[in-house]
Amino acid sequence: MTRDKTPTERTAGALVRPFLSGPSDGAGGADGARGVRGADDQADAPVPDGALRPFLLTAGRVAGQDSIAIETQVVTTDSGRTAVDQLGFERRDIVSLCGNPLSVAEIAAQLSLHLGVVRVLVGDLSADGHLSVYLPNADASTDVDTLLRVIRGLRAIG
Amino acid sequence: MVSAQSAEVGGPTRRRPPLPVKLVIAGGFGVGKTTTVGSISEISPLTTEADMTSAAAGIDDASQVPGKRTTTVAMDFGCITIDESLKLYLFGTPGQDRFGFMWDDLAIGAIGALVIVDSRRLDDCYPAVDYFERLGLPFVVAVNRFDGAVAHDLPSIRWALAVDDAVPLITFDARDKLSVRDALLVVLDRALAKARAAQTKR
Repeated sequence: MTRDKTPTERTAGALVRPFLSGPSDGAGGADGARGVRGADDQADAPVPDGALRPFLLTAGRVAGQDSIAIETQVVTTDSGRTAVDQLGFERRDIVSLCGNPLSVAEIAAQLSLHLGVVRVLVGDLSADGHLSVYLPNADASTDVDTLLRVIRGLRAIG
Repeated sequence: MVSAQSAEVGGPTRRRPPLPVKLVIAGGFGVGKTTTVGSISEISPLTTEADMTSAAAGIDDASQVPGKRTTTVAMDFGCITIDESLKLYLFGTPGQDRFGFMWDDLAIGAIGALVIVDSRRLDDCYPAVDYFERLGLPFVVAVNRFDGAVAHDLPSIRWALAVDDAVPLITFDARDKLSVRDALLVVLDRALAKARAAQTKR
């Protein structure tokens, strides 16, 4: 039995990629050379061999963290900084990354993790006190003062 | 002001993060969403992945895109720091025919949306227009001037899209930072008008 897959297996479509393709092919990196390539052509990237199913990292849990919106800001707590060496893999990566506030979407992109996986892990780490999670204010987008601030900020871009 | 504070869950921390607000950049396949985000974002656009629901997977027309076989969608985004306590995120919708749960994720709580249109392929933006109309989210239709040209004049495009006269229809250049900024400001104007109307009603 060889490791090679038949073409049928390759195109089965059952695999859900946990990770973006590595920076080596320019797909996941933050390099400027990527230019205007983006979501539209990401979808055509080949499935890497040996890809894990993404929710393996969360012991299969996918639900329960719907309240964590993609723009939710996350910061490592003192407890997280202390515990960072005892945490494993992705959890350690997230705690190490969030010394400065980051959105859930940025964590997913920078660690090349699936957005849903990051939500579950961030929820866990927050429950353990390693992360502070600042849920966005639902009214901010309809608040006149906030909108005026955004308008002033955009006008300042020159 | 209520909005300056966001609820905190978890332990204490040293630095308070900015309040995040978001804008959705929508439109069909290859209309310039990523270019738009990249033109104005202070970070080069990041990409992250999420699953589509099986319902969306059925609609995602993989037959038109050879080699496409996963139900995972990629989403681009960037950000603009407005001031030290306010950060604007720009989320580009995945290039799908229809909105899966990802679109709700992006659109709920958003200030508004910029629907980008390629005037040669108007029908690509119908799902986005329909979606934001139904959601009641303020949106603006922006025709991307590919190579400086627009295939049809704006009144014809408005007629073809059948959007309400109240919905602004503009042209812009996705590669030009100031042009993108001005397009976003039109979205903000719409959102502000709506917020003010809601305020006086209260």
